[in-house]
Amino acid sequence: MKYFGKKLITLIMTLFLVSVAAFLAFQVIPGDVVTSILGTEATPEREEQLREELGLNDPPAVRYFHWITGVLQGDLGVSYRYSKNMNEMMPVAELIGDKLPVTLWLAAVSLVFIVAVSIPLGVLWAGLSDAAHGRRGGMLARVGHILDAALGVVTQATMAVPSFFLGILVTYLLGIVLGLFAPGGYVSYQENFAGFLVYLIFPALSIAIPKIAMTSRFLRNSMLTELSADYVRTAYSKGTSKRRVMYGHVLRNAMMPVVTFLGMIVAEIVAGSIVVEQVFGLPGIGRLLISSISTRDFPVVEILILYITFVVIFVYFLVDILYRVIDPRISGT
Amino acid sequence: MKQSGSGKWNKYFVAGLFMTGLAVLLGIVGFFWTPYSTTEMSAAEKFAAPSMQHLFGTDNFGRDIFSRVMQGLGTTISISSLVVLCSGSVGILLGAVTGYFGGLLDEVVMRITDALNGFPSILLTLVIISVLGSGRQNVIISLGLVFVPSFVRIVRSEFIRLRDMDYIKRARLMGVGKLRILFVHILPNIFSVFWVSVMIGFNNAILAESGMSYLGIGVQPPDASLGKMLSDAQGYLQSAPWYALAPGLTIVWVVLGFSLFSEGIRRNQ
Amino acid sequence: MITIENLSVAFDGTEVVKHVSLQLEDGEILGVVGESGSGKSVTALTLMGLAPAAAQVTSGRILYDDVVLQEAGRPCDKALYEKYQGARMSMVFQEPMTSLNPTKRVGGQVEEVLKLHTKLAKEESRSRVLETFAAVGLHDAEKVYASYPHQLSGGMRQRVMIAMAVILHPGLIVADEPTTALDVTIQNQIIALLQEINQKQKNAMLFITHDLNLAKRLCQKIAVMKDGCVVEYGTGEEIFGNPRQAYTKELIEAVPSRLKKRRILKAPSNMADEMNVGIPKAPSNMADEMNAGMPKASVNMAKRKITGTLHSAEQGSSILQVRNLSVFYQEGSNSLFSRNKKRCVVSGAEFDIYSGESLGLVGESGCGKTSLSKAILGMNRDIQGNIIHHSLRPQMIFQDPYSSLNPAKTIGWLLQEPLRAAGALDKSLAMTKADMETAAYDMLRRVGMGEKYFHRKPSQLSGGQRQRVSIAQALITNPGFIVADEPVSALDVTIQAQIMELLQQLQQEMKLSCLFISHDINVVYQMCDRIMIMKEGRIIEIGETEEIFHHPREEYTQLLLCNS
Repeated sequence: MKYFGKKLITLIMTLFLVSVAAFLAFQVIPGDVVTSILGTEATPEREEQLREELGLNDPPAVRYFHWITGVLQGDLGVSYRYSKNMNEMMPVAELIGDKLPVTLWLAAVSLVFIVAVSIPLGVLWAGLSDAAHGRRGGMLARVGHILDAALGVVTQATMAVPSFFLGILVTYLLGIVLGLFAPGGYVSYQENFAGFLVYLIFPALSIAIPKIAMTSRFLRNSMLTELSADYVRTAYSKGTSKRRVMYGHVLRNAMMPVVTFLGMIVAEIVAGSIVVEQVFGLPGIGRLLISSISTRDFPVVEILILYITFVVIFVYFLVDILYRVIDPRISGT
Repeated sequence: MKQSGSGKWNKYFVAGLFMTGLAVLLGIVGFFWTPYSTTEMSAAEKFAAPSMQHLFGTDNFGRDIFSRVMQGLGTTISISSLVVLCSGSVGILLGAVTGYFGGLLDEVVMRITDALNGFPSILLTLVIISVLGSGRQNVIISLGLVFVPSFVRIVRSEFIRLRDMDYIKRARLMGVGKLRILFVHILPNIFSVFWVSVMIGFNNAILAESGMSYLGIGVQPPDASLGKMLSDAQGYLQSAPWYALAPGLTIVWVVLGFSLFSEGIRRNQ
Repeated sequence: MITIENLSVAFDGTEVVKHVSLQLEDGEILGVVGESGSGKSVTALTLMGLAPAAAQVTSGRILYDDVVLQEAGRPCDKALYEKYQGARMSMVFQEPMTSLNPTKRVGGQVEEVLKLHTKLAKEESRSRVLETFAAVGLHDAEKVYASYPHQLSGGMRQRVMIAMAVILHPGLIVADEPTTALDVTIQNQIIALLQEINQKQKNAMLFITHDLNLAKRLCQKIAVMKDGCVVEYGTGEEIFGNPRQAYTKELIEAVPSRLKKRRILKAPSNMADEMNVGIPKAPSNMADEMNAGMPKASVNMAKRKITGTLHSAEQGSSILQVRNLSVFYQEGSNSLFSRNKKRCVVSGAEFDIYSGESLGLVGESGCGKTSLSKAILGMNRDIQGNIIHHSLRPQMIFQDPYSSLNPAKTIGWLLQEPLRAAGALDKSLAMTKADMETAAYDMLRRVGMGEKYFHRKPSQLSGGQRQRVSIAQALITNPGFIVADEPVSALDVTIQAQIMELLQQLQQEMKLSCLFISHDINVVYQMCDRIMIMKEGRIIEIGETEEIFHHPREEYTQLLLCNS
């Protein structure tokens, strides 16, 4: 319990530091925000008025304080770029609100793909390569050897494909050649949730495929390492069958590093979605982030960075707890 | 009997060497000479499919894609080399000092690198780019900064592992100076691990650079780039799929080459 | 009854076990003794059906009563073995620390044997496991049952392994160096336990060890293996009393034992006098070095905050004085947040080492002997008390020959490095390149290695050769005093004997003082003039070797002596 408290404090500290860094980073940027919003033809009075409105005249510490207390109360500030209408500025919260579910669903579908495919694949693969170098020999070993090598080549090649190119390949092969979906035909989740999910399958595949290759490789290696451990020999010396050794003894130990690895993968899914949303024209926060950076819409960028950081750190926190639950060496005593 | 896949010239090493070697060669040649002009447009040759004249076909302006890929490779490889060179050398210095001496500096550096490491690298790059603006130089600076932590981590953990080895304890007992222990006694022993991480860093740099130019926040025209070509080509997937496939497969070729190369080095150890 | 007939086992066409024939009666313990690479473990693993996939039986067969378990030209019958393993034959391994699954409770791991081979109900098998735990000397069986391996000590884990092996009363137990990783006192308990089980259950036991003495104590019959062949086979008395093979003789002689004459017998009581005379006669270059070095040494000492003066003239007899020394160890993580706890690992150590003598330091793992040596060499600065050196830059020889030489350098470079370092610290000691090279070649020769090794890298040398180079590197600057931390413990017996001989010879030639650390009291007996016994951070007994061996004062010393 004490440990979790400590971890929680570290989590909050990190978030605080990131928020300060994110805020400060955009203070040093050259160029005046007011000029960029109003254009060069605005009157000095109008400029001053806006400056006051945005709180730009206060010292940075005060402005940070205003900003962060606002954020904590749910007031995320206003966009410099977007506006509701001629007189009303666009709150960042509203801007992000309907884009967030798109990204979260994309990440969730990708993660489901990754876990559902890579874990069975990794276990199967480890079994194959163990058979290839295994105890019995014969036909099984030869088949195992070929499949082992083939999987090695396929996964290595897959990991070399950048997600944006994979997105284009998926669009071309599944969309244009096979006609499984209409590229660019995004279905809004508000209108048709099922259609939305179906469309998400393809971007999620583009994110998931390289990660599946990585994770299954990792699990396979982890299992092979465990298979050569002393306790496995002990298990065999009891007359345990290979199947039982694999599932009863090895899998759990081999999964431990994989849990940490999957945590890192989640962080990468979030990052990957930034690019893939662009490829598939998904109106998620990744796309918003890129366009806000291009248009230098800093309040939006700040909030998005803080948000993504929060998600990533929180995932690490969860992984850490999970790890403690499954590894008796850490949780015990 | 020697097992295949081990030994100095194992198949990974050879394949990787061939693939990266070819790509680097094309990239370097692309700086000085390309089969066709990369800027000259020709309406007559618009969207020509790959042929003996145009190996990778032509684009929407009738420009030779192969020539543009050569130039893009040059940009990508030169940027990645600079990034790895900068972050690798900073990584060695910081990793060696923090790993060997430990203490407060180590604590501070590790907290920072830990925080940065957990952070998706693309996000950090985006922050830096949004502060500095896009363009060749800023891409190098931002990626260089982003890649430092991973090198520090690897070098540091190797130094921590080796500083407690018996032979280093003995070197201390002999009265060998600290700098000499760091760079003469320990450093040669981490090179095999370090080279692998350089290769991986190279790969990540290539992926990040092309990803950034795909998103339009990387190098800007007139600098040629594979990522930019891909995003231009995306609109013509139906009519000219080779336009997208050429730069895309080139990236895959280079990245795969480097990962085979690093696998080959790893297996040599 | 187990019969191994003419068994040969090959890896990729190279035979590692050659035409081995052994027979094991019920209730009998057969010892298989050999050095590493002798094929003893492969024989045992093949018998158990646990040999790696690459291993092939190329001749002979293995019989369990009348059932053929293995036969040449037939792949290992897994299905048959799965019925035998655990139920009729079982194995105890060397490494108790890694032989149990770290993420399963040990009770469940033992119970798995019952689950696989019997139809006992859950409750029955549980009580059966608890009974067996009690029978192998695990008190508080309930608690052990629910423990994870990391919560148990090495000795307890080995008892769990034994419980697992004996729970179904198998006809054959194979024990592969079951006590090598344990401390001497625990070792003895485990041996006694195995003996007791053997007598009670009347099973055949194959006991594999590198330790000839142990085999003699425990086994009715002994087979000596070398390069895959059984070179000698008979009862303990036969083998020790009348070894037929030269190798067996060599092996018996190599085993350090206090029953044998010590090679060098010095009279420590006279030593101080002798040494007073001896010192000025030291080789001239050494004397120079010492003189030049002395002031430096005192500076170093000051840095270490060790008060002490250097009166080499009056106290020429002692090269190291340790006074009321306590050594501390920082516990807990190296974090900014948590306060570190200090634990005292050595307290109140007080002794002298006289020049030219070697002092043995004996104790079990965790007794503080390594901490003490680190403190003496200034590798641990967290100390109280005084350490006064009368030598310049004492050197150290470590246990593991594989980590004590820098793998990136050549032997020649390694041997010259101490000279370069000395030259860099003190310009008056700087040598020319040619001189250093000559000195390195000379030192290489003195440790019994040819010139051809000069340009090789450590990875091209064997363990024994590496240890020779380590010794050469430690002695090339003529340090006057060295600490040797278990320098022969990682080596095979015959190599061990050679290295011990080399050390003794060099010690005499170079008038070297030595602090010799070992867990093996017999090795210390061979090597040292005086012995110091350490227990739980304290030096409990110190005296001349013969005195300690024949009239030990402390109970603990007696225990150590009778256990080895």
